[in-house]
Amino acid sequence: MRRKMLGVLFVLSMLLTIMLPIQAMAQDTIKLGFVDILSGNFKDIGDRYLEGVKFAVKEINASGGLLGKKVELIIVDSEGKPDVAARKATTLIQKEGVKFITGGASSAVGAALEQLAEKMNIIAIGYGWAAANMTNEKCSKNFFRTCLNTDQQSYALASIMAKKGYKKIGILVQDYSFGKEASEAFKRKLSKLSPSTQVVEVIHPTGTKDYAPYISQILSSNPDAVFTSNWGNDLRIFLKQARPMGMKQKVYGYFMNDEMMVQSFGNEDHLLIGDVGAEIYTLTIPTQKNKEFVAKFHKEMGFYPTWLRGKAYMSTMFWAEAVKKAGSAEVPAVIKAWEGLTYDGPAGKMTMRACDHQILSTAWTFEMVQKNPFYKHAYIGPSTAVPVKDMETPCGGEEKACKMKN
Amino acid sequence: MSDIPVFFLHGLAYAGLLFLVSAGLTLVFGMMNVLNFAHAAMYMLGAYFSYSIMLHATGQFWLSLMLCPVILFVIGGLIERFLLRRVHALGHVQELLLTFGLAYIITEAVKWFWGNYPIAINIPGVLNTTIQIFGITYPVYRLFILCCAVIVGLVMAIILFKTRLGIILRAAVNDSETVNTLGVNVPLVFLGVFAFGAALSGFAGVIAGPLLTIYPGMAQEILIDAFVVIVVGGFGSLGGAVIAALFIGELQSFGVLLFPKLSMALVYMLMAAILVIKPSGLFGEKQ
Repeated sequence: MRRKMLGVLFVLSMLLTIMLPIQAMAQDTIKLGFVDILSGNFKDIGDRYLEGVKFAVKEINASGGLLGKKVELIIVDSEGKPDVAARKATTLIQKEGVKFITGGASSAVGAALEQLAEKMNIIAIGYGWAAANMTNEKCSKNFFRTCLNTDQQSYALASIMAKKGYKKIGILVQDYSFGKEASEAFKRKLSKLSPSTQVVEVIHPTGTKDYAPYISQILSSNPDAVFTSNWGNDLRIFLKQARPMGMKQKVYGYFMNDEMMVQSFGNEDHLLIGDVGAEIYTLTIPTQKNKEFVAKFHKEMGFYPTWLRGKAYMSTMFWAEAVKKAGSAEVPAVIKAWEGLTYDGPAGKMTMRACDHQILSTAWTFEMVQKNPFYKHAYIGPSTAVPVKDMETPCGGEEKACKMKN
Repeated sequence: MSDIPVFFLHGLAYAGLLFLVSAGLTLVFGMMNVLNFAHAAMYMLGAYFSYSIMLHATGQFWLSLMLCPVILFVIGGLIERFLLRRVHALGHVQELLLTFGLAYIITEAVKWFWGNYPIAINIPGVLNTTIQIFGITYPVYRLFILCCAVIVGLVMAIILFKTRLGIILRAAVNDSETVNTLGVNVPLVFLGVFAFGAALSGFAGVIAGPLLTIYPGMAQEILIDAFVVIVVGGFGSLGGAVIAALFIGELQSFGVLLFPKLSMALVYMLMAAILVIKPSGLFGEKQ
């Protein structure tokens, strides 16, 4: 009896698995798979990205959807692990018929999804994966990056710092591929813009708890300012320890507009005042579109579209533009339509370069201030534009050119 | 070479923190033969409790410095009495697994209660100033950490080696049955040791909070450092922990100055070298 029941169940479950994709395809929606970190230590990153994507999808659907169809967002947790992300994305593609997946935290996850997208012929959209090689030597026609890569972000900061006329700059980066790439790109750009500027580089292991020796090392060379690509705890603990050790220099960083980082300083947020950052999205971009976007987002969600939220929103809106232009949600049509397309969003115009699928966009630089219209704690002041040409990379990176396969 | 005193001071301050974090771990191992994987989680609990105390009694850093060890003492006592004691007879592997599981439970509980994001602790005015020393600006708080480490080390040494309680403790380690027949409540002694170890970890957590900020990953990150200290110093040796903490603190500090490319590997190279030359650690006894 029991065995018979099991047999029936088995057949039923087989039938269900076969039927599910058919059912899924029958629904008339365009599916966007969200694959990002929604648990563990970096949950706050994925959560904020998701809020941006959700808001964009809501806005697209409220204005009639895409090609007359609603956009359906399917959310899965990458756990920050490349294998988990690839497995879950594969399920989305095979069982749900998803043709577009989007994500941003952890370039290791990004690289896995880029490969997967090429293998399964879907489109992966990165709003945060910054490893330059994803659009250089590892580029793929199935991958589009809608944020700055490490080369561009270092170039932006290098050109801002070169314009300040600093004679000597301290560099503090983490001892792994990301930190080293960021530092290399920074030095490369700086030596072109201001060959006479000296740099003093200090590399520290990730997860360093005591920055005192490193800070002393920087201070002993007495630089005019400090550049860092540090993120997470490595940024927070460094900034927390630097000023009390007598470091008065401004810090120019990749991740200064992280409101969670500022909040973690409690009433010691004055330690951040004067530090500088640059990103493609900030709350204080002085365009009319951005003012409207910030107001609308805040009204509907109850919080501001800071940093990650803004980036994920613009990325999703840009994708929607590409689908609209393609007039079809088929992968080859969208790839073709997106190449060379320009999106005019809250941050101004951004263009998807056809040769490597990397956006070119104005970046916005800001200084940390105490009084701001958004929070009680310190946050960013007014943003000014860093022109696209300051961040332009020769198509396909400097040495390791992208050779797009068709 | 005017840098030398500065870097020595940096190493000293970090050694202080390392010793505070590993003191409880090595005590519990030395007295009870239990490798307490939950030690760092209890250190994190100490930091979070101090945050909550300072939130409700604004700015009462000193109060939290006294209260948190007491809270952790109670928690440690409960863990020993109701969990650890039950698996003690089953052997070390079970004890290790138990504390390993506890570490996970505490970490998840912390995320549940306090949230999965970093929070700040602000230190009181006296400690939040800087002084000029060896020609550099130096935060007073780092000197405070060093003082705390020295005091904790001295108190532990006096208790262990100069008091009747210390004699009972050391005797209980060597031959618990004989000590038991002499009328000493050995289980109670072990409960006290474990609870005291927990209190020490809580104390270290309060001290570390303002320097490192507080976040759910802080336990995991400090655990490795604490293990390196007790491996190098010798499992269970208090003096070994002092020497090892100093060694590692100075090595990390001068490593930055002298071998910047190796600073990540230096500490582990030291550990590997010690394990090859003297597998029981600098001051460890052969097991």
